[in-house]
Amino acid sequence: MTGLQNSNGLETADRYYAQYGSRAKELKNEGRKVIGYMSALTPVEILTAAGVVPLRLKGFMDEAITKGDAYMETIVCPFVRSVFDAAIKGRFSFMDGMVLPHQCDSMDRTSDVWSYNLGLPYWHFLNVPHVTDDPSIEFMKEILRVFIRTLERFTNAKITDEAIGQAIDDHNENRRLMRELYDLRKSNPPLISGVEMMKVLVAAMSLPVSESSALIKNVTEEVKKRKAPADGDRKRIMIIGDQIDSAAIAEAIESAGAWLVVDDLSIGGKIYWPEVDKTADPLQGIAERYLRKLKIATTFVGEGNTYEENLEARFGHLRERITGFKVDGAILFIYKYCDPYGFEVPAMKSYIESAGIPVLYLEDEYSTSTLARVKTRIEAFLEMIA
Amino acid sequence: MAEEKKRRAVATQTAAGIPKFVRGNLAATLKAKEEGKKVAKAFIHDGQDEIMRAMDIVPAWGESFSGICAAKRDAEKYLQKAESDNFSRSLCTYATCHIGFEMIREELGGVMPEGAPWGGMGRPDMILGNGQLLCDPRFKWPQALQHYLRDVPVFVTNMYYPPWDPNIDHHEQEGFYVRYCTEELHETVRFCERVTGKKMDWDRLAAVVELSDRTWDLFVDTYDLRKAIPTPMDTGDAMNTMVPITFNIGTQEAYDFYVELNNELKQKIAQGIGVANPEKYRIIWAAGLPSWFALNDFQYFNSKGAVFPVEVTYRDHEKIEKLDLPKTDDPLEHIAWRWVRYWTHWYDAARKIPGSTPKVARIIEYIGDYKCDGVVFHSAFSCRSWHAGIIHQAEVLRKVYGDIPILIMEGDIVDISSYNEADTHNRIDAFIETLDAYKNKKRN
Repeated sequence: MTGLQNSNGLETADRYYAQYGSRAKELKNEGRKVIGYMSALTPVEILTAAGVVPLRLKGFMDEAITKGDAYMETIVCPFVRSVFDAAIKGRFSFMDGMVLPHQCDSMDRTSDVWSYNLGLPYWHFLNVPHVTDDPSIEFMKEILRVFIRTLERFTNAKITDEAIGQAIDDHNENRRLMRELYDLRKSNPPLISGVEMMKVLVAAMSLPVSESSALIKNVTEEVKKRKAPADGDRKRIMIIGDQIDSAAIAEAIESAGAWLVVDDLSIGGKIYWPEVDKTADPLQGIAERYLRKLKIATTFVGEGNTYEENLEARFGHLRERITGFKVDGAILFIYKYCDPYGFEVPAMKSYIESAGIPVLYLEDEYSTSTLARVKTRIEAFLEMIA
Repeated sequence: MAEEKKRRAVATQTAAGIPKFVRGNLAATLKAKEEGKKVAKAFIHDGQDEIMRAMDIVPAWGESFSGICAAKRDAEKYLQKAESDNFSRSLCTYATCHIGFEMIREELGGVMPEGAPWGGMGRPDMILGNGQLLCDPRFKWPQALQHYLRDVPVFVTNMYYPPWDPNIDHHEQEGFYVRYCTEELHETVRFCERVTGKKMDWDRLAAVVELSDRTWDLFVDTYDLRKAIPTPMDTGDAMNTMVPITFNIGTQEAYDFYVELNNELKQKIAQGIGVANPEKYRIIWAAGLPSWFALNDFQYFNSKGAVFPVEVTYRDHEKIEKLDLPKTDDPLEHIAWRWVRYWTHWYDAARKIPGSTPKVARIIEYIGDYKCDGVVFHSAFSCRSWHAGIIHQAEVLRKVYGDIPILIMEGDIVDISSYNEADTHNRIDAFIETLDAYKNKKRN
């Protein structure tokens, strides 16, 4: 075990952020199997129940793609390309396997590229549906069963319903702890900065759930002891997007004179609010969370009787965050070549603006090389809403 | 003023009839209201064609509309309109072109925008999408479109097939995939019944599906005739002759078209008439949608003695017998089996070639069957569905098949700003030289 109980939480988060995957690598050296996974759509409860070390994969915004483009087209999502580039360069060479969920075309259509070129001992493409009706829930349970069977074969150990139930409890607890930490951002000024929070979110997704929870607890206790900083008159910003996992973006916002107080990102707000319900068949609860509760652009939501009802079902949670965290402005940060999020922009932008909140839409690469331009846009936005 | 290129010549007379088909499909959407029919904005290859045909729902094909705009080099105004509301240029340009068109029409109070190609396309009464395994815009485009057509109901279904994994026997998964697809198709029928106020005529649906199956078989038989040397028809034509099976499946007109094409190809073969004279190089179009604004590039290939006797694109059909479909009384289950097996039947072929993938196994099969000397892929920058993974296909092909000239062309489906004719022709010239050297090497 790590000495997390006695450590400085923020310092530990900073270390795990800077040395991403280092804890998984340590655990690998201790004989554990490490399974990397992409996206908020991978049911991490199953990996936890299998006794492997789940590691959510990330890219490295400050590193140029130097090898990946020889294997993967530049029309693919720049985030996916960055992760692949890191993987092919050996940044995750300690991984025993990988799970790629069917989130979007950039993942689905490159599945062969990953599996063939990484040549990992374990590989699984999880074919998550895009719709949420009852047949889709049943189908999701079927593909979860296939996923479980492949993991059982790989680990040579049975994954029991009891183990899945325990994993559900542990991950739900983890989510509650993270939401408590988010609550400390509701004050004005927030007790934890956006840059610090980004590092905690990234560190948390690199750890087994028990260690992740311990880290979050430590950070929360540490932050609670802080006195609120004096400069409370900054604008309070929310960031929306998929996997934005670099503190550089938060830094760009906060160094421009704002507080980043909340997010709707797939490593943050999107995954820490919805929990898995306890159900007789644990796969039912998992299927429902990942299909019906996770609000990500690759899941079609449109069962309402009117367009307005559909908008509420898709984006209503944003309004709750805006109110709860007293948001003054929202930044919609979408990666280039992203059809699922890109097609949402007009609807989401007008929905948020209808709540009286100005929106800055940024389309960009997954790279710090373009951050100067991004920062200029953010500064102009903050001036506009001042 | 849009720059309209001179219409490309076609090698078959039958293909010359395609514009009439396309205009007919657009006109049907405009006439639907007076005929008391509902119009559905729909997608090709979503398994929903036969449901629409059996319920007299008129499909409005967004991809076709945008392709026409591109072919007429008149898409820019629609792309710009979509861009003005923050749809990025990096998104699927089939979608953004069509959405831009609908945005303009809504701003005009429902009046058809001036200069809409071939009279434009009718306003939909419903939007059908599909969370398929191969295209995000198939469920995001409907959602984005509804932002501008708020009174139009949207239904998105999900048609998956087991993903390729050499370590998992897909046969074990086919059953629950088919069950899921079937249930989703039944959901589609229930939605269509609600919107049209009419009940599905299941006998009629069964007859439509049976006609589709016969069309599939005839289509494959007809395209197989292109194995002849010289080939009587190449991909330049196939990008037209795909229209009936792609947009009109389940109709007698589609079936009759392939009867006519079949007869013409047989006649050309008997007379020894080929696309290129002399035919020097045979190439497979191994993946990618074409640049609809640059179909003349096929003729450029032809002018160098190069022909495409086969393509993967729009050849999404196989002999029904080869798919070994289980018998069922439910036409929707039949569609589901046909859909799943169409994809998975390549998996067994891939397993026989170590290190291969289904896509590559298919290319290798076609290279052999059609006696190809080279491989061309086309990568369209705004479409990840068909164009992400092409580099990998080329790489695997090199490894498992061996030495063969490969060209990856780059462009887009609709957005002409990505295209440079001179550069493209230079690359084709260089490829032809490679092909020539390859053939000489093989001869020696």
